[in-house]
Amino acid sequence: MKPLAVTGLGVVSPLGVGREAFFESLGDADAARERAFGGEPTVLDPEKIPNARAAEAWGFEASDYLGPKGLRNFDRLTKLMIVAAKHALEDAGIKRDGEFVASSSARVGICSSTAYGSLDAITELNLVAELEDPRYINPARFPNTVINAAAGYVSIWENLRAPNVTVVDGNCGALDAVLTCDTHLAHRRGDVFLVGGGEGLSEPLYVAFRKLGIVAEGAETCGVHLGEGAAYLVAERRDEAAARGAVVRGLIAGYGTAFEPPLSPAALVHASADSVRRAVRAALDDAGVGPRDVDAVCSAAGGLDLVDREESTGLAAALGPDVAVAAPKLVYGETFGASGALGMATALAWLAGKPVAPLISGEPPERVRTVVVTTVGFYGNVSAVVLRSADEGSP
Amino acid sequence: MARVFVTGMGVVSPVGIGRQAFWDALVAGRSGAGEVTLFDTSGMDRHLACEVKGFRPRDFLTAAEARHAGRCSAMTLAAAREAVTHAGLGDGQIAGERTAIVIGTTMGEANLLGELESAWIHEGSEAVPLAKIARYGTTLLPIHVARAFGTRGMVQTLPAACAAGNYAIGFAADQIRAGRADVALTGAAEILEKLEFAGFVRLGAVTPDRVQPFDKDRRGLLLGEGAAIVVLESEEHLVRRGGAPLCEIGGYGLACDAHHITRPHPEGEGSAHAMRQAIESSGIRPEDVDFINAHGTGTYANDPIEARVINEVFGGRRVPVTSSKSVLGHCMGAASAVEAIACIQTILTGLYPPTMNLEHQDPECDVDVVTTAREGKADVVLNNALAFGGYDAVLALARPGVLPDEVGMP
Repeated sequence: MKPLAVTGLGVVSPLGVGREAFFESLGDADAARERAFGGEPTVLDPEKIPNARAAEAWGFEASDYLGPKGLRNFDRLTKLMIVAAKHALEDAGIKRDGEFVASSSARVGICSSTAYGSLDAITELNLVAELEDPRYINPARFPNTVINAAAGYVSIWENLRAPNVTVVDGNCGALDAVLTCDTHLAHRRGDVFLVGGGEGLSEPLYVAFRKLGIVAEGAETCGVHLGEGAAYLVAERRDEAAARGAVVRGLIAGYGTAFEPPLSPAALVHASADSVRRAVRAALDDAGVGPRDVDAVCSAAGGLDLVDREESTGLAAALGPDVAVAAPKLVYGETFGASGALGMATALAWLAGKPVAPLISGEPPERVRTVVVTTVGFYGNVSAVVLRSADEGSP
Repeated sequence: MARVFVTGMGVVSPVGIGRQAFWDALVAGRSGAGEVTLFDTSGMDRHLACEVKGFRPRDFLTAAEARHAGRCSAMTLAAAREAVTHAGLGDGQIAGERTAIVIGTTMGEANLLGELESAWIHEGSEAVPLAKIARYGTTLLPIHVARAFGTRGMVQTLPAACAAGNYAIGFAADQIRAGRADVALTGAAEILEKLEFAGFVRLGAVTPDRVQPFDKDRRGLLLGEGAAIVVLESEEHLVRRGGAPLCEIGGYGLACDAHHITRPHPEGEGSAHAMRQAIESSGIRPEDVDFINAHGTGTYANDPIEARVINEVFGGRRVPVTSSKSVLGHCMGAASAVEAIACIQTILTGLYPPTMNLEHQDPECDVDVVTTAREGKADVVLNNALAFGGYDAVLALARPGVLPDEVGMP
């Protein structure tokens, strides 16, 4: 792909709201982990789900950022996404005080990932339908049950009339959204795209993963450390970003994806080192860089041994054994469809010269100019994206 | 820049399983509507829908596949098998990294989620059936297909409400044109589910009897379900293997109304943009379009706006228009994929299938509605999808050799 300019970033995560709050938290893994996992989750009812451990976006109130009006029918995922999108558009200098100051409503779109959508919205309606009467379900809430509704609300709230695409590919969707964004920019279906995704913590999500027996119940326990959040990068064609004098925080330079089935047709859930190797190599080829150009990896390692081992093997096969590999999910949690978005946000912090921790292999790099971000799904699906410093390559 | 051709198609629909049964019913106007049998509607105010009848996963899936696949995935895989066979692609011919799987949907395995939630609500988390959790993910729709055909490249689900089929087919074609894949299995799938049904009834969108697109007495839609998959191939791949094209994928247009989560933009701004973009990016002019498969839901909101937009885009030229939803119901995420199969059949046969139940055409819907199957020119056909959330997606399909070289160019 032709490198895309990243001109803005908006993040809502357990580490706070906004680019700065996120960047500044990543260097001290212990402090950040304590902040992310240090409380009793408020979105999980302790009577129904005792001793829950999860990283929620603590104290997040959408009205603090969006004002009090018009939020009544938004679910948590929608709010997380809108606030992240609003921050990203302002950070990029596309909007100020809610108005477009660069580009226009017709030319700004969104490519957004979520793995599970608004499960809490579905539960809310099912509770009414199952315990009372399906005739009583709230029609104003019903649209939230549709997977792409949250991104639809982002477009409505921010008045984005270029294409609005939701991508689902489990944990890999937010990196796949990069391909969607690149495709639509190349075809000039828009000039500016929000690219990323969101996932909201909810009771049904927690119950499902605990039931599967893979939720980490302590900081050092094997398993998925559940989190939530939303992040959007603002991506534009590089010449147009330069022409409008935008600050370029990095380049999206390459994308790759791969799928490997399990050896046995009886298996469903599995991870594949070969998928990781192929996706990373494809992303490097797409970016026109070699394995030696890669300074650091923002990995998908999240505490599930079965998956993390395969990823490590695949990364070593693609990039050699010495590259610095960070596992930021051990800090802010597994956010599924949003994880690639938070991974890219972490990579941007690295490119901005901020320290990123914890590293699970390699030494802290002196200078970070090229970062590979990986996402690993639960079914053999893997995607990878290459992010580079703003001044790499010819514009 | 690679041209992209459709070389095979498969469909599981409320009016028949398999492309011939589907097309025969569509041309005859045999409705798929009936009393809902998949769940209890006795507590609701509406009872009709267009269910897929007699679909047995094991007729199409291996035992291992059937064990993992929910109803939505099973229909997807059944349609994919028909499409691949139709394309004349043998075992292993599309295996490997150069085949992309891109599937649209609205809610994926919604009934599995409903069963999980029901168990949880009534009996607590202990009662939640473990096996169904792993089978739920919407991610799985393309993954079951990839596993079945040994593909090792892109696996993606595009949930774009009722425009999902066009989203998926258009995006998959983009990837072939960009050289990221040689072949794609793409389309969409949706199943009828209780909460979805209850929600649409609560929105007042469901008719108590029949779907009457463009009629002044129209009372709403009927929910449908199904799956439709097409095989897309690059021209180079097709020539290399000596295959035959059914039709060519033209350009497509996407826009977002950014207006309201369920209602269309009152002026149809996004729809008009998407239709124009589909025409322009195909390298043709509005006068080259021969037929439109309308979104035509039969709801108060959609039909007059869509009709107005059609008249605006075609400058008053009377382009024949059909709403297959009068026969199929509204198959939601699958709708524009199932209707793409109808469009391809129109190109292959030169036959416009009828819009049923039009008795008193609404003057606000002043378009040339095809009410009995009609022969006509079918070189270029538009497939409209105008969805929830203001998602507008319009796909152009054409007889091979009709479109100019610059089709689908960035």
